[in-house]
Amino acid sequence: MRVSGRDGRAGQDVLRRVGEASVLILISLADGPKHGYALIQDIKELADVELGPGTLYGALDRLERLDLIESLPADDRRHPYRITAPGAAALRVHLDSLERVSAAGRLRLRLGGI
Amino acid sequence: MNEPRASRLVERALRCYPARWRRRHGDEAAELAALLIADGASAGSIALSYLVGAGREWLTPRPGLRLSAATGALLIACSLGVSAVLLASSAPARAALTPTRAKGVSTSQAHGRAHCRAGSDEAVPGVLRSMGQLPVMIWEAGHERSC
Repeated sequence: MRVSGRDGRAGQDVLRRVGEASVLILISLADGPKHGYALIQDIKELADVELGPGTLYGALDRLERLDLIESLPADDRRHPYRITAPGAAALRVHLDSLERVSAAGRLRLRLGGI
Repeated sequence: MNEPRASRLVERALRCYPARWRRRHGDEAAELAALLIADGASAGSIALSYLVGAGREWLTPRPGLRLSAATGALLIACSLGVSAVLLASSAPARAALTPTRAKGVSTSQAHGRAHCRAGSDEAVPGVLRSMGQLPVMIWEAGHERSC
């Protein structure tokens, strides 16, 4: 599955089924390229989630197959990863969707008086 | 855990990944593990994470290998395995009958002499010799049928 603006799925939330780790990686890469260790540290700070290295590489491979990220030339032995334009678009759609759900949840809590 | 032991543990876990994955991420993954261990992460949990990742990697269908092709290959492998098991399970009876028939002994005599010892757990040497495959069927207990 590839994501692009031309294949008619640009407005679809393709990140809904990729898992939390993949979304966190995209969020972490949104402000610039990072390699594995930097990603783990950033995600720990950002979301208080400790990604295992096995989970990290699985998610990176999946995101790369979907063309949502790309690996840059190796710097020493580490490959930095960068978010692609379709990746940024997919992340925006996903975050918008989360915001809508979150707003609806808050509204219902208010209405329910809880 | 001391450093060489920890790195050996991680190395072993990394060896569980497919070769294609190791070529692409192997060095980087080893280095990442070393950095995480230096930060205080336990080598065991890192190795476990890599082991789980390796399992997922083997189970993930690759883009070049279509799912239908993979399923077909799996079905063929399974049916070959079942055929081999069926062949192996019918071989002792046929093997026991073959030499006695050649000497003009009837089937019922052959049953009485060779493989049919109801309730017995004894090995039947004739069966093993004619099969020529010792590890396959060492014991042949008497079967439920009356002979």
